[in-house]
Amino acid sequence: MQKQIIISVMSQDRPGIIADITGAIYELNGDLADLNQSVLFGYLTMILIATFDAHITSEDILARIARIQSPTKLDVIVKEMDTPLDTRHSGLPEKTYIVTAQGENKSGLVHGISSFCYHHDINILDLATTRTDNRYTMILQLDLSRVNSIIEVRKKLQEYGKQSGLHVVMQHHQLFKVTNEINF
Amino acid sequence: MLRSDQILATVEMIQKENLDVRTVTMGINLLDCREKSVAATCRHIEDRISEKAGNFVETCHFVSRKLGIPVVNKRISITPIAFVGAGFNQDGFVELARALDRAAANVGVDILGGFSAQVEKGMTETDRQYIRSLPTALSVTDKICASINVGSSQKGINMDALTMLGQSVKDIAEATREQNGFGAAKFVVFCNQPGDNPFMAGAIHGVEEADTVLNVGVSGPGVIARSLERLISSRNDRLRLDEIAEEIKQTTFRVTRCGELVGRQVSEILGVDFGVVDLSLAPTPTIGDSVGEILHILGVDAIGAPGSTAILAMLNDAVKKGGIFASKTVGGLSGAFIPVMEDALLAEAVGSGALCLEKLEAMTCVCSVGLDMIPIPGSVDADTISAIIADEMALGMVNNKTTAARIIPVPGKDVGDKVSFGGLFGASPIMEIRNVGKSKRFIGWGGRMPAPIHSFKN
Repeated sequence: MQKQIIISVMSQDRPGIIADITGAIYELNGDLADLNQSVLFGYLTMILIATFDAHITSEDILARIARIQSPTKLDVIVKEMDTPLDTRHSGLPEKTYIVTAQGENKSGLVHGISSFCYHHDINILDLATTRTDNRYTMILQLDLSRVNSIIEVRKKLQEYGKQSGLHVVMQHHQLFKVTNEINF
Repeated sequence: MLRSDQILATVEMIQKENLDVRTVTMGINLLDCREKSVAATCRHIEDRISEKAGNFVETCHFVSRKLGIPVVNKRISITPIAFVGAGFNQDGFVELARALDRAAANVGVDILGGFSAQVEKGMTETDRQYIRSLPTALSVTDKICASINVGSSQKGINMDALTMLGQSVKDIAEATREQNGFGAAKFVVFCNQPGDNPFMAGAIHGVEEADTVLNVGVSGPGVIARSLERLISSRNDRLRLDEIAEEIKQTTFRVTRCGELVGRQVSEILGVDFGVVDLSLAPTPTIGDSVGEILHILGVDAIGAPGSTAILAMLNDAVKKGGIFASKTVGGLSGAFIPVMEDALLAEAVGSGALCLEKLEAMTCVCSVGLDMIPIPGSVDADTISAIIADEMALGMVNNKTTAARIIPVPGKDVGDKVSFGGLFGASPIMEIRNVGKSKRFIGWGGRMPAPIHSFKN
């Protein structure tokens, strides 16, 4: 009998964090299903899913990670899953859209657009933002599966862009795939 | 997820640079619509078109909305009508044109092409009747485009047909006199006409094609012009032509991919075979969507100045190289168009005297599709028009490429006047024709120009 465990780690970025954490999992005979990491201004966050033998507990994992001789402080959360997650790679939903929003930087922009998504039952799959000079750019990968009318959302999004001073564009994700990747 | 810069580059291309899919054209076979009488044939044709294309326009709208890419034109091409109307007379062909016009309006397409004949070797009596029907057929219909293939690299040029066509072009223009001869903008003469070209006026559904097929024409002069401007302004060191060609290639790849995506999705929903993507750079009269502008960006201060032909050759080649890899199957005309009235900068160059017919003719040797949308004085005689077309056909025949001529003798107008058809058909000053009336003896011979020898190509 096996169980799924989610491990989340935050730390000042340095070489070797992933090697340290996955080394601990390997020693506990864990099997890594998937891992995602991101670095923001020199700070790393990662989340991973691994399966372990039934007798391994969250405490065992935390204790093993605590033994890592890390020059940076590792903040770790370990969570056992009661109901197993589907780790088979499912790809993106058919109605995945990319929204880009660009405008003058001011506070509340990400909150504004994410609230818009929430109000329209749109799930944010991924979000990246950049700031150059005083221009703020947000790129959101959105799942519109629960949206009935794409035209309506597009219209509302334009209105939202006007109100908030953002240039907002929404396109289907396939368009970005076909214009940037060899495979079709 | 894709990189942010890739996403922003694609957004830029769609929003600011006039990227659209210029046309999705549904080819429909009508050969089996033939009945004993003209009236019954007309009914059968109308039924066939509404059966095959009933959901066509709505599906294009759906895919366009879903992907966020405009599909500018929804068109139909049909089996060349002279095959379907074999044995019918001139009046019968006019009735067929009316029926096609009704069918096109009924399914909501912008234009229907294929009111056509293929006479590159010889003419039947049907073909003659068809040619005689053209002035009326094109003046009593709104959406019908006509074309005729008079030459090929395999068969030579049918000079008997060409002799008739100089007069036909004049008659078509005269029949649509109150629209400044607009009918002639809906008629094009070809050498080596392809059977899968989605662009008008020359789209047909060739007899070699399947029952129904979808062909897509992408656009993109604006996208290429803007990407070249960005490249040039981003570089402080010396930019070389091969780097420019590479940029054109990569941009064309992206543009073509958008057309491929739209085409595949529309064809999948309709359950129709996806034929080809035509890679032609097709300008529109919109400012910033001009092939002439690309020539200007690439270094000639006047379009038609020495160097114009060389630049166009490189542009045409780079477009093909980028596009061919982006699409499963490429076909149609696939080259840069230089239709004078439809390209604001070319029209301007005609007005300023920088661009003359002879230079345009030279430019058509290295691009598609030929002497296109050229308004000339209405007074130019039929033989001179036939001879202009003959020169253009000879270029296609000898160089194994498609060439075409769409000459509009504008009734009552002369050099210095301007003509405008509006919309995508554009506007231009009337082009000067030199040596008018000097080709009568040549055209008078008639007969056939033999096919060229295919070895010793030097």
